[in-house]
Amino acid sequence: MKKNTKWVVLFLLPGVLLFSFILLSSLFVLTGSSFTDWFIGSKITFVGLKNYIYLFTKDKVFIESIKNTLIWIGLQSTIHVTIGVIVALLLSKKKWYSSAVRTIFFIPNIISSAALGMLFLCVMNPQFGLINGLVSRITGDRFVQNWYNDPKTAFLSVTLTWLPYAGLVTILVMAEMSAISEELFEAAKIDGATSFQIDMQIILPLMKNIIGTCVVLAATSMLQKLDVIMMTTSGGPGSRTMNMPMYIYKTVFSNNNYSLANTQGVILIVLGVVVLKIIRKVFGMDKED
Amino acid sequence: MKTVRKVLAFIFLSFICIISLVPFIWVMFSSFKTNSEILSGTVGLPTGFHISNYVTAFKLAPIGTFYINSILVALFATVLNLIICSLAAYVVVRCQFKAKGIITLMFSLGLIIPGAALIQPLYTILSGAHLYNTLSGLVLVYTALGMPTTFYVMVSYIKTIPYSLEEAAYIDGSGFVRTFLQVVLPITRPAFATAGVIQFLFAWNEFQFALTLTGETGKRTLPIALYYFKSAFASDYGAMFAATVVVAIPSIITFIILQKQVVAGLAAGSVKG
Repeated sequence: MKKNTKWVVLFLLPGVLLFSFILLSSLFVLTGSSFTDWFIGSKITFVGLKNYIYLFTKDKVFIESIKNTLIWIGLQSTIHVTIGVIVALLLSKKKWYSSAVRTIFFIPNIISSAALGMLFLCVMNPQFGLINGLVSRITGDRFVQNWYNDPKTAFLSVTLTWLPYAGLVTILVMAEMSAISEELFEAAKIDGATSFQIDMQIILPLMKNIIGTCVVLAATSMLQKLDVIMMTTSGGPGSRTMNMPMYIYKTVFSNNNYSLANTQGVILIVLGVVVLKIIRKVFGMDKED
Repeated sequence: MKTVRKVLAFIFLSFICIISLVPFIWVMFSSFKTNSEILSGTVGLPTGFHISNYVTAFKLAPIGTFYINSILVALFATVLNLIICSLAAYVVVRCQFKAKGIITLMFSLGLIIPGAALIQPLYTILSGAHLYNTLSGLVLVYTALGMPTTFYVMVSYIKTIPYSLEEAAYIDGSGFVRTFLQVVLPITRPAFATAGVIQFLFAWNEFQFALTLTGETGKRTLPIALYYFKSAFASDYGAMFAATVVVAIPSIITFIILQKQVVAGLAAGSVKG
């Protein structure tokens, strides 16, 4: 270990400057303005907790956006992760198609979410979309839907743009699996364990940490889903598919109410920290490090 | 029992492949159809390869400009991010100083902040610094947002390098900076590749800040092209399909070519969660 104060400072400086300029000052503006009234072009006045009280007691759209965000977090951290883990277990049996399936499954995750949103906007289009095309061929026009604009189907349609696409979970779990020593499997096979027993009783327990990580990633990704929603429903119909990022965006750019948007931002960050704590507790991830 | 399970596994995996591939393939086919073909027959193959949709797409929206902007932003955001994080990671691993804990915390803080919370603050700050509606503004934001992952990848990698190499260089009279540049950096290349690919893809695909921190067409990046189509040219379906393909293809190709780096980067970057 070298002591080299001058170089330490110089090496850290760019990072510290950028952090202060982009993140620290943002957090400062965010938290500070949440206690004020601040519209586009208006003077900033201190109002205490008014924004927080307003959001939780009067703003129905905000309540719905929290509710939707929480439902999506719940679905994503359970069903989505489960799908990814099952695919990883199936592909771990090293078949000729394993790496091809893994690659294909990851495609929806690797393209820009704006492109994914657009893809689904086209696929679900009521006039010429693939889904309605298939539905009407099979059942006639009875089940044809205006997927994104009908209040009955909008929530489900938006959910389906991310829920099944767990390629990232699969990749992460498979990367962790490749670290398990072969001897363990050999020993289990000699003892007469079936491959299902090996999956359930040997692999899964060893995957606990990475699955916890995947749950964290899946849950927190739901705190930043703006692009797909913006490309498909913009939170509608009404506020049926409104989530917190989308409502923040609307509050800033449609209502020009900066302080209210930033209050939502603070709540979003706090919610994120709480969700993270809960997941880490459930998976016993706090003990390590 | 065993065969039943095999059949179920096969069906499940086929289903996974279908839902992952079919929407994209369908959009790709549709991008070669004429508008009337799109509106009538919905599932079938195109009658011929009409590249006219692509021509229209490039005419309607300045996709060429968007492309160049995306390449510039992603490239600079990646290079800057790698430089800043490798410097910081190196001294955090190799030097003793009091603020180490704070520095590490600072680099990982970005992880717990959902980007959406920062929409308005960043808009205000970049406007104040005259960086709103500039590519440099986007580069700075992406560089900062990518710091946690890159920093983590760099720290874990540098930790695996035996210190004896640097020690030998110091004994030979090499200075701190020269040792870093000539001894450490060459060995750290794999970490640069891993973190670089992830950072590049992040910057290439980013939508939210590209939308909120730029205002005029000449400064926008590729993902915004699609939003442009959605809001302005939603009736020209063929061009909309073509634009989607044009935006999605580079990421897919990058992933298929650099699969090893992407997987390694995701695996390394995720642990910090």
